[in-house]
Amino acid sequence: MLNNYQSSGYPLWSNGPTPGGFYNFTGGQQTHKLPSELVTEGPYGTKRNTSSITTGSSVLGIRFDEGVMIAADTLVSYGSLARYQDIHRVFKINNNIILGGSGDFADIQSIKRNIDQKMIEDQYYDDQITMKPKELSSWLTRVLYGRRSRMNPLYIDVVVGGVDKQGVPFLGNVDLRGRAYEDYVVATGFARHLALPLVRERKPADRDFTAQEASDLIRKCMEVLYYRDTRNMSKYTVGVCTTSNCLVEGPYNVNENWTFAANIKGY
Amino acid sequence: MSILSYNGGCVVAMRGKECVAIATDHRFGVQAQTISTDFKKVFHIAPRMFLGLTGLQTDILTVRDRLMFRKNLYETRENREMAPKPFSAMLSSFLYEHRFGPYFVEPVVAGLHPKTLEPFICNMDLIGCPNEPDDFVVAGTCAEQLYGMCETLWRPNLDPDQLFEVISQSMVNAFDRDAMSGWGATVYVIEKDKITERSLQTRMD
Amino acid sequence: MNKFEQFPDYQVPGVQHHDFSPYESNGGSIVAIAGEDFAVIAADTRLSSGYNIHTRTQNKLFKLSENSVLGSTGCWSDTLSLTGLLKVRMQMYEHTHLKVMSTDALAQMLSITMYNRRFFPYYVSNILAGVDKDGKGVVYSYDPIGHCERATYRAGGTAGPLLQPVLDNQIGYKNQNLSQDELPKLSIDRAVAVAFDTFISAAERDIYTGDSVIINIITKDEIKSQELPLRKD
Repeated sequence: MLNNYQSSGYPLWSNGPTPGGFYNFTGGQQTHKLPSELVTEGPYGTKRNTSSITTGSSVLGIRFDEGVMIAADTLVSYGSLARYQDIHRVFKINNNIILGGSGDFADIQSIKRNIDQKMIEDQYYDDQITMKPKELSSWLTRVLYGRRSRMNPLYIDVVVGGVDKQGVPFLGNVDLRGRAYEDYVVATGFARHLALPLVRERKPADRDFTAQEASDLIRKCMEVLYYRDTRNMSKYTVGVCTTSNCLVEGPYNVNENWTFAANIKGY
Repeated sequence: MSILSYNGGCVVAMRGKECVAIATDHRFGVQAQTISTDFKKVFHIAPRMFLGLTGLQTDILTVRDRLMFRKNLYETRENREMAPKPFSAMLSSFLYEHRFGPYFVEPVVAGLHPKTLEPFICNMDLIGCPNEPDDFVVAGTCAEQLYGMCETLWRPNLDPDQLFEVISQSMVNAFDRDAMSGWGATVYVIEKDKITERSLQTRMD
Repeated sequence: MNKFEQFPDYQVPGVQHHDFSPYESNGGSIVAIAGEDFAVIAADTRLSSGYNIHTRTQNKLFKLSENSVLGSTGCWSDTLSLTGLLKVRMQMYEHTHLKVMSTDALAQMLSITMYNRRFFPYYVSNILAGVDKDGKGVVYSYDPIGHCERATYRAGGTAGPLLQPVLDNQIGYKNQNLSQDELPKLSIDRAVAVAFDTFISAAERDIYTGDSVIINIITKDEIKSQELPLRKD
């Protein structure tokens, strides 16, 4: 009788409280119903797939005194296959915003189409009001949060950067759950482990990076990522957004140097 | 729920200036049900050394007995008193012998070296990974609360009276925020010439 | 009917399978203390998941009105959604009733807003601090599904279990055997000092708490903000 104290009580309702039992908030069974678009079978019993298939690796963004830079390589993988090798993952959205996308590339393209449509709407109002990076970031938060709440997330991790009307730079990250934050450096994928510490280490405490410093750091980090992330390749593009210009530069190549390879012994 | 928190309870030990203290709560329960309120989880195993064991009650008693056996064997063979450090090493290897079918206990050792009188505290996980810091060690179902309390109240070179106050307040306030520990506490302060045992009355809910 | 499984040609090799969890713990802790005519609320500024630190400068205190501040940690996307919704509802209240919501009304609304998501909760630890209509300091604490309790001091978030007994002892004078008339009156300086000190302790033992702590001091006239560095490892 003593040792089945917990199991002797039944929940009052499905996943509800058990009298006399310990309260366990997240434990217990999932009761979420998947949305209808996921569970409805098509002809021949086909079902939608919700995992990522073609994926882009890291994106790295750095904020500097008068703008932001976002870099990503041009590889889109299919599992471990380096499938598409010349795809730009940093986009110019308008004259104030650049966006770097990682994760499922189909989801990136889908959200990109939505954003482009918004930019067209922005233009045809012809009221000289254009979207600012903070607005886009906030909008992405709502879209991604909405999808995660329906248990049908867009498998993406995006970096949004740009300058606002006053010329103040903005750099932020939104992930597949709608988690958003701003910082002087944001990264997704492996860059979070490899590039982020390199950039933080070089940040002067009393001032922002300069454009030159940011550019040098991006070059260094893309090199490190190329060497250490198997899902990276040597070619990358860099989006730069300041008050005066907003464009995607590149593709550039990292300074490959494999002379050290001959010295590695023991394998 | 983890087997380690099946019976509840907690132990904490602290170093002071030329003294150590170890404290235990009194509760023995089966999950939410309190069975007994005079189960002390700290055992006097040598003149200046105490062993505290939290976790599954049946394993607490077994580990205590088997450890006493090994310690007595050591003392008979070597004809000298066992110091806290080798005792902890022995406990650690004893627990690791059962690496893949462990005793569900988290031990705490506190004592003074029999010759040098150097204060010593130590705790380990259930498979014997030892930790010998110079401030305090905690174990049991309210370990988090104890860490918060000890981290704020403890400071270096506490004399025995201050140490008693710090360890008591840490223990009592920590287990008042844990349903599975409490129902009174016992504190032992070990000095070179005496051991002081004090019982604390606490809230019983 | 033929099933999808019968067409192995359509099994894609590149698919990365994983179960999706809508929740994520992004760490962080809150401490709030209410005094006679003030309330202080403090939160650390680390935003993390697992062993990654996303940013060291994330403010988790949301100034909802001139006399109330909400501290919110847990799943950061839920925090953003919840606080966004709260701001909308407060605006609507202001337009309908032509006055700013009182802290007590806000506390009740927060509870209802959270309970609305009873079966898919906001995974957040909320503490609301402020001064009420009479200028008295108040603290309200919540569980993730909207249980609301008025208190004089409360700790929440990942280091909540570490901090709460310290507040019991240092602010509530628990287990100090003082009679009711011996209890010292709580000053702003002491509340701020204790709040800071608890965070220094929490940063020692909780990896999700650190970087710096922001503290808001709420009186009926103003909300003051202070920041103190914590350990960054």
